[in-house]
Amino acid sequence: MPGYGEDPEWSDIVPLPQDDGGPNPLAAIAYSDEYSEAMSYLRAVMAKNEFSERVLRLTEDIIDMNPAHYTVWLYRAKALFTLHKDLRKEFDWLNPFALRHLKNYQIWHHRHTIIEALASDLDEKSPKIDNMIREEQDFLDRMFTKDAKNYHVWSYRQWLVERFNLWDCEEEREAVDDLLRKDVRNNSAWNHRYYVVFGRPNAPKNTTEGHVLMQREINYAEAAIRIAPQNQSPWNYIRGILSHFQQPLSNIKSLASEFASLEKPDEVKSSHALDLLAEIYKEERQLDCAGKAWDLLAQKYDPIRSRYWMWKKEQLGTAAA
Amino acid sequence: MVDRFWVRQESLSAPFTLPALYTSLPPLRDSLVTESSRLLDQTAAECMPYLTLTKFKTRDLNSHGLQKLRRARHIEFANDSLEELPGYMVVLDASRPWMGYWGIAALSMLRVDLVEEGYRERTVDTFRACQNESGGFGGGHGQYSHLACSYAAVLSLVAVGGEAAYETIDRRAMWRWLGRMKQPDGGFTVCEGAEEDVRGAFCAMVLCSLLNLPLELPPEEMDRVGGDGTLLSGLGEWISRCQTFEGGLSDAPNHEAHGAYAFCALGCLCILGPPHETIPRYLNVDNLLSWLSHRQAVPEGGFAGRTNKLVDGCYSHWDGGCWALVEAALASRGFGGSSSLDSLWDREGLLRYILCCAQNEWGGLRDKPSKNPDGYHTCYNLAGLSWAQNYHVWNAEKEDIDMTAPLSAPFSWSTTEKPDLPCDEEDRVAPMHPIYVIPHEKATEARNYFLNRVGF
Ligand SMILES: [Zn+2]
Repeated sequence: MPGYGEDPEWSDIVPLPQDDGGPNPLAAIAYSDEYSEAMSYLRAVMAKNEFSERVLRLTEDIIDMNPAHYTVWLYRAKALFTLHKDLRKEFDWLNPFALRHLKNYQIWHHRHTIIEALASDLDEKSPKIDNMIREEQDFLDRMFTKDAKNYHVWSYRQWLVERFNLWDCEEEREAVDDLLRKDVRNNSAWNHRYYVVFGRPNAPKNTTEGHVLMQREINYAEAAIRIAPQNQSPWNYIRGILSHFQQPLSNIKSLASEFASLEKPDEVKSSHALDLLAEIYKEERQLDCAGKAWDLLAQKYDPIRSRYWMWKKEQLGTAAA
Repeated sequence: MVDRFWVRQESLSAPFTLPALYTSLPPLRDSLVTESSRLLDQTAAECMPYLTLTKFKTRDLNSHGLQKLRRARHIEFANDSLEELPGYMVVLDASRPWMGYWGIAALSMLRVDLVEEGYRERTVDTFRACQNESGGFGGGHGQYSHLACSYAAVLSLVAVGGEAAYETIDRRAMWRWLGRMKQPDGGFTVCEGAEEDVRGAFCAMVLCSLLNLPLELPPEEMDRVGGDGTLLSGLGEWISRCQTFEGGLSDAPNHEAHGAYAFCALGCLCILGPPHETIPRYLNVDNLLSWLSHRQAVPEGGFAGRTNKLVDGCYSHWDGGCWALVEAALASRGFGGSSSLDSLWDREGLLRYILCCAQNEWGGLRDKPSKNPDGYHTCYNLAGLSWAQNYHVWNAEKEDIDMTAPLSAPFSWSTTEKPDLPCDEEDRVAPMHPIYVIPHEKATEARNYFLNRVGF
């Protein structure tokens, strides 16, 4: 491919060469000639705020060489909007690109910008919106087959839920269920479930409806705890739920006692259950028992955190005062 | 797979006793195997020969039987990371300010004299080319200004210090640009048209406090942002929305709790005021403590970023740095006073992970033994070493700086060495400021310079 310098289409542009900063700059990069030239043309078109077809091709070329270049992504988005391009076509290259560059996160902000623009041009009830959402969900599921804990993909998924009101959408909970069935320790999936169920505006609190929901979710987490009691995710999930509903931890005392008990200090199956039990004792003002449970954690079941467990025990003294 | 190492450990004839705590798998393990547990086990197996010292020659060990800090090789690695990089590293083209900061900070921690080594001019020249007339620094010449790049640029300039470095920064333009990044909900976007996240908030507060920028909004942003008309408006409340049901903090409300974002959030709160005031005002401290404690991995001793994720050397800083700030916040609850505890986390565990698992034999530090070292992991493992080796206390009485100006709280920290760790004097890195992650005196010098400067 001939360079921009020989291309008659670009002959009107005077490239702006890079200033790395002085004779001995920090961490300068020995750019390839191709990258260096493309960037010089980008600086030149950005300086005169040009948005055109050739600028789109230029941004694609640079992103191909360096997908982590946030400036180019943002400039490309501006160009797409200024030129009133058919934004759906953007996904033709964006999707395979995302699957090739799993760690890249600029792409997810770009996607967000494009979907937002597409949606704001459509009526909220248009079937096209439903289609678009389904395509997004399918694509995200594909991304998760490659990396089920990708932070930026999950953040994007949350935005999608909020933007398109997917709180009651079966696909959302199913997608999470699927991932948790594959790996019950996927904390990102637990976080998403919490968001879908309790993150909605006006999520039910202490109403009958709220309590049904609370019980359903506690049951869900309980089932997960039974297959792997040392997995912290469902324990955190339950504690989050009880705190959302301002319920005492003693609601789940029998669950905690199944996996940890002071009567059988040699048969503890979960350090999380034991900590929870200690907290429940504290709630019930049985401070001695709480202290014993934290001792057990410090000395036997979770010694790396012994100082933390001892701190909690010490704080009982201030609670008693 | 993992159990094979027991044999090795028993047959090891090293003259050092290996504490079981740092060489045994967690006492409670579930039998169910999933992708997460497979990776966790694999990582434990990968680290075990390093934790049990079978990988080292006796001459590599310090007087306590841990691998020595390979200081000279890390200095060489950090110096090299600031030289010209090969063309295939072009994906770092928008992260050159970061590369600069990681190298400069690493060298500071390794006690290299930056001025003597010629870094002042190079730093000034490099960042002059990244600054935009409309305010802020971008990833390189002609790139949009970005809060992370501005953070890295300003910290590097402050770390090399001196008038030429300070005067490189166009503070008036920086202030106006920060005004444009400020959002009506209290947070900051990282770049014009880009995402709003807690990195943005933290970086903005680092810039405001070090450079002593005015806190009122530029007049042209008043109507758009609303609130009380300052850059701080709604910020603490926005940070508090980033605390998740797990107790940790995420990059933006409702996302998953994550060590790097927790550090940014806590750092931001500790710039807004004294740690024991702002942290409990905006966060549930008990939940935070629970989440943070559980990030320390067994048996590796290092930290992971999220629940059920793997230990990784860079979290030595992100999570370890949280501990420095959180311990100071607990002073009001008796920590450092009536409490019998000198620490709430296992400093020796982290020390062992960094010295034994995270050091590359030929220089540079890494995520875990199977990964190559890089500038990012070198900087943040060394910072983690500093958090493990020192106590960090917030103390209202300071003589070297005027504490009446706004955002003075971050200039009241002091650091003292923690004794009784299995490391020798040569394994110790320089004390660092727990929020700015540069030497204390460098932060104070810059603050004083800008406090005494009349006008912009
Ligand atoms: Zn890392």
